[in-house]
Amino acid sequence: MQRASALIVAPLIVWFLLSLITLSTADYNSVINFFSKPLFLILTIILLITGFFHAKIGLSEIVEDYIQNEKIKNAVNLLGLLLSIIIPSITIILLLYKF
Amino acid sequence: MNDSKNPLSPHLQIYRWQISSLLSITHRITGILNLLGLIFISAWISSAGIGENLFEYFSVFLKSFIGKFILIGFTWSISYHLLSGIRHFFWDLGYGYEIKTVNISGVIVIISSLLLTVFLWLIGRGLI
Repeated sequence: MQRASALIVAPLIVWFLLSLITLSTADYNSVINFFSKPLFLILTIILLITGFFHAKIGLSEIVEDYIQNEKIKNAVNLLGLLLSIIIPSITIILLLYKF
Repeated sequence: MNDSKNPLSPHLQIYRWQISSLLSITHRITGILNLLGLIFISAWISSAGIGENLFEYFSVFLKSFIGKFILIGFTWSISYHLLSGIRHFFWDLGYGYEIKTVNISGVIVIISSLLLTVFLWLIGRGLI
């Protein structure tokens, strides 16, 4: 899953980063225009889901290697899981609501 | 202490620094930085979804010196993690385990991550 998600995230994050660099100097309307395109909207949503999913797996791997205390390990993993679900969910809901 | 029997993996303070270990830990550090970047991107997108007033704060920040510095740093972090990830794919496939190859591919990852950062900014800014 780590590898599979990486294959999806890699091209999407490069595309989004390029867009972000371009849009970082643009005005509000340009950004609204960007997300109004259905293809861009869908790609962004896929990026958010797979990106946070990939991050969650990676974070667990790091936690597994560096934290020995089971309670702290479980707490950090649970926090990571919740954040990797809540943050993209809120963002996607706002995106779908607005566009 | 309710510790597991698992051995703790890298004892960073004890090992002598080598390019292989340096690149490995950098892969993990950039992974965490990329997660922070992803959270920032989520906040940026959300602000655009909520309204222009909130979005303006992000706009001002991204145009500032610190904002640009962070965005360039994030571009490098992504570039490094992506290229280093490709290196991991080769290892998964069973290639590149010789010490010499590991060192060479490591240097290639470092140099090309810097080049990719410059390349992405030139394209992003419409300069090429």
